[in-house]
Parts: sequence; structure tokens; C-alpha cells
Amino acid sequence: MDLETEVAGLRFKNPVLTASGTFGYGREAAELYDLALLGGVMVKGVSREPWPGNAPTRIARAPGGMLNAIGLQNPGLDHFLAVDLPFLRQYDTQVIVNVVGHDEEGFLAVVRGVDGQEGVAAIELNISCPNVADGLLFSQDPVLAGRLVAKVRQGTSLPLIVKISPNVTDPVALGAACAAAGADALSAINTLLGMAIDVERRRPVIANTTGGLSGPAVKPVGLRIVYDLARSLSIPVIGMGGIESGRDALEYIMAGARAVAVGTAVFRDPLAPPRIIAELEREMENAGFTSVDEAWAAANPKAKGAVS
Amino acid sequence: MKPQEIRVVERLQPAPDCVELVTEFPDDELPAPGQFYMLSAGDGRDTYLPRPLSFYRTFSPRRLSFLFRVVGPGTQALAALRARDRLQAMGPLGQGFPLPEHPLRAVLVGGGVGVPPLWSLGRALQERGCQVTALIGARTRSGLLGQAELEALGMRVLTATDDGSRGHHGPVTDLLAGLDADAVFACGPEPMLGAVQSFAASRPVPDTYLALEAAMACGYGVCLGCAVERAKPDPELGPYGTYARVCREGPVFRWDEVKL
Repeated sequence: MDLETEVAGLRFKNPVLTASGTFGYGREAAELYDLALLGGVMVKGVSREPWPGNAPTRIARAPGGMLNAIGLQNPGLDHFLAVDLPFLRQYDTQVIVNVVGHDEEGFLAVVRGVDGQEGVAAIELNISCPNVADGLLFSQDPVLAGRLVAKVRQGTSLPLIVKISPNVTDPVALGAACAAAGADALSAINTLLGMAIDVERRRPVIANTTGGLSGPAVKPVGLRIVYDLARSLSIPVIGMGGIESGRDALEYIMAGARAVAVGTAVFRDPLAPPRIIAELEREMENAGFTSVDEAWAAANPKAKGAVS
Repeated sequence: MKPQEIRVVERLQPAPDCVELVTEFPDDELPAPGQFYMLSAGDGRDTYLPRPLSFYRTFSPRRLSFLFRVVGPGTQALAALRARDRLQAMGPLGQGFPLPEHPLRAVLVGGGVGVPPLWSLGRALQERGCQVTALIGARTRSGLLGQAELEALGMRVLTATDDGSRGHHGPVTDLLAGLDADAVFACGPEPMLGAVQSFAASRPVPDTYLALEAAMACGYGVCLGCAVERAKPDPELGPYGTYARVCREGPVFRWDEVKL
């Protein structure tokens, strides 16, 4: 079985990555398994300065998933470069740095800061976090998104992945603007904006009022958006949203994802990523595929961007 | 810490809305008092996230119990388990109570389902020669948990109920005033912990520790859901200098470390 895959010129030993925001910078998972098993790691969003995150309560339960409004708590660029990146560098896996910012300058500072650093394989531009005041700003307008991507493109030679929001009318238009501005790949989806009410306390459960829904409940939405992006655009897509099993991962690949990321599943099963890699291999075999390339877009005949 | 499958040995019902599951672990990595596990039962459709629970009693190195109030789908799924059923347990997790190096007069304060972590703590303190008094409180008599079990360890137990149906009529923390304490260890609802903080500040009892509860998705430090505000932001602590993780830096904090 050939589990190797390629996204934006990067080779991944297998198509299973960990999704940003559910994995920190790998330190905790490394207590449980060898991170070199992973195709790649998409780290927790990094901002120019440290961000404290939102006031608690930050999470709420939901059927088939959960809501979160962490607010991108992170130690900032300097800490990432001094402490977190050297830790991840020990492992033979592709490290993708998720970059967040309040404005263009904020994004650019982090992009320039990680550009050229040993051990950084790619950048994932997070323009789709629903849990900070201006987190979705750049997603709401393809023109704004395209302008940001174009500026970032000039600031780095690293492969550039843009994380797409499901909280827009037309994710394809957003993806197209990013592609036209120089994005090498897209990742989809970020969380779906939602909320929960606490009846006894007569208020929203989450202090931020709203939060992002993730978990198995969102998988159909993720599949639909990955399918649409793959059919409409020629840049590759990394699929995510509710992946809990090798079969879920295969569904995303067959919808048109070149690689997938496991997020919320690690909360319920910390060993989910290596388990999913093993399961994916069996699922592909059962389905009669011999490689990721073969499974790619098998259920999406009009998908573009085939590797020739 | 590691994820493991454990087995229910016995299901007890110490109060109308509370269940104690006695479970057997595959190995004998004994947790420290105050540490917890993330438990999940069922297929996760109704309740996806695992449930953080401190362990309660230890019967042997592989046999631990969990005591909880049945409040929602997560605890309902756990309460539905019967002897021989299996469930997932990730742990042991977090920092437990610091144990004193020398014998001292220790007071445990437990409110409602906050009592469980105090059982193993009380026993560990006694083993270190401490004189231990436990104060337990609840809304009403039937909600008082663990009295007989704590008494069985040979410690003095005083009770308080909000409705006066047993023991002191009022908050359990009222009972602190009449005691000489070198150290206080508390677990319970936030208002109770707030009262313990005030006591620790005014008496003062610097060696006062609080075991916190928080909404939590992962329990092992990656989701950042269980944030608690530090009393004083500390840049030395890097990413966790403003908000600490209850699951990793806690669940036990010194009384003056956190803002409730």
C-alpha cells in the first residue's frame, strides 16, 4: 500500500496530519506515541505576540461533537521559535505552522518570522477562526482574503496553505480568490459557528457567547466543501472536519482531499492519529485502492488538479 | 498517563442521584491523590467528550472507584454501566495535592461531589502522621457523600447542610472557624472554594490547596478548554501565564494562584 502523498510540492509519508488547535505543539501527544508516525503536524495558531485567549467557559458539549471558543491562546512567535519548533524538529514529520493575526501586519510578521526556519515545511494561514473578534474578517470577503494572501505570498517562499471557513456562503469563491493570489493549497474546514444555552444559569454556556462546532457532526459539511473545492480549483485540498476513523479519512480522500487532518477526535481518543493511519491502510485495501493517488477523488470525477 | 480500557467491577449508589463505579485497571500505575481520569462510555453519539473525574477510593493498586452525580448525557452513560462493562479511561492526569513532609493538622473540605479526591488524600496524610479532620457539606442530608468512608479511615468528620437537615445549618466553610489548621485541602463548588480562599487569606493558612473542576475536552493539555485565570499573570510561565490549564497545571492549585 502506498500511503505517500504530495501537497503543494511537499511529500508526506502518509496522508494523516493533526489539525491545528487540537494538538498544541506536539509535546503532550509525544508522551503517548512517536510523532514521526504522523504524516504531518499542523501546530496551534501562532501570533506575533502572545495571546491570552478568551475568558472561560471556553467549551460546551454538543451531540456528536463539541463547541469551543478558546480564542487562539498561544505563546507568540518568539516562544514558538525558541521552544516549540526545536521540540518538533526532533521528529521526522512535516511541520506546518498555523499563522494567526488581527490584521495584515500581524499575519505578515509571523510569516516572515518562520520563513527560512529549519524544520518549517509550510504555512497554514488561519483566516477562518470564528472565536476572536476579527477572526473571520478575511474570510467574509474574497477580495480581502486575496489581498492578504498576495501580501503573505511575497513574504515567504514556503508552501502556503489557506484554511477555509465553512461560515461563508461560497467557500469556493473564497478558495478561488486565495488560489489566484498565490495559495499553494487549501485546508478545509475550520469549525462551524454555533452556540449552547445554559438553562439553569439563563445565559450562553460559552463566555464568548458563540463557539466553533467540531467533531463527527460536521463531517458532512466538510466533505461537501472539500468536494466542491476539489471540483472547482486546481490547487490541492487538505480535508478535515469530524474525522474519527480510517474510513472517514478515506471518504475525504475520495471526495478530493490529497491529505487529511485529525482534530477533535484526539480529545476522545488521544491515540486517534496513529490508529487512523493503520485503519486507513486497511480501508484502502478493502476498497481496492493501492495508493492515495488512486483513491484521490475516486468519488469526484470532475476533480481538477490530478497529479499526472 | 495513557489511554486504557478498564472494567466495571461493581456499581454502587450511595445517594439517589449519585453513582460509585468500582473499576479494575489493566496495570497498577496508582494515581496520586487529586489526580483524575477522562472517562468515556458508549459510542459518543449523545455525548462526544469524555468526562473528567477524580478517582475516589482505592481498594488495591488496580482497583479504583469513581463517584459522580448524574447530571447530563456524559454521566448518564457512565451511570448506565454495570458490572463487567468496559469503558475508556485516560490518565492519571494533572497535578495532585502536595503532601507535607512533616506531620501537621490538616483539614479537608468537601462540598457535594467534591468529596471523592479527599478520601485518598486523607489516607495519604494519615500515613504521614497528620491529624486529619474532614468537613463535608451538601444542600441536604441525602447529598452528604463519603461520611462513613472517611470515618472508616479513622478521621473526625463534621457535616454541614444548607437546609440544616444534618450537622451545621449553613455553608460547610463556616466550620473552618472553629478549627486549628496548618493546612487546608478543598474540593467543591466554586462559591465554597471562594470561601476557603477567604479563610486562607484571613487566618492566614498559606498551605491551602484547591482542587478545581472545569469544562474540559481533552484532559491532557491540548484543547486549552479548561482555562482558569491566574491571580497574577506571570510572564515567566510563558503561554500559561495568564490562563493556566486546570488539566495540566492543576487541577490542584494553591489558594492564591487562581482567580475564581
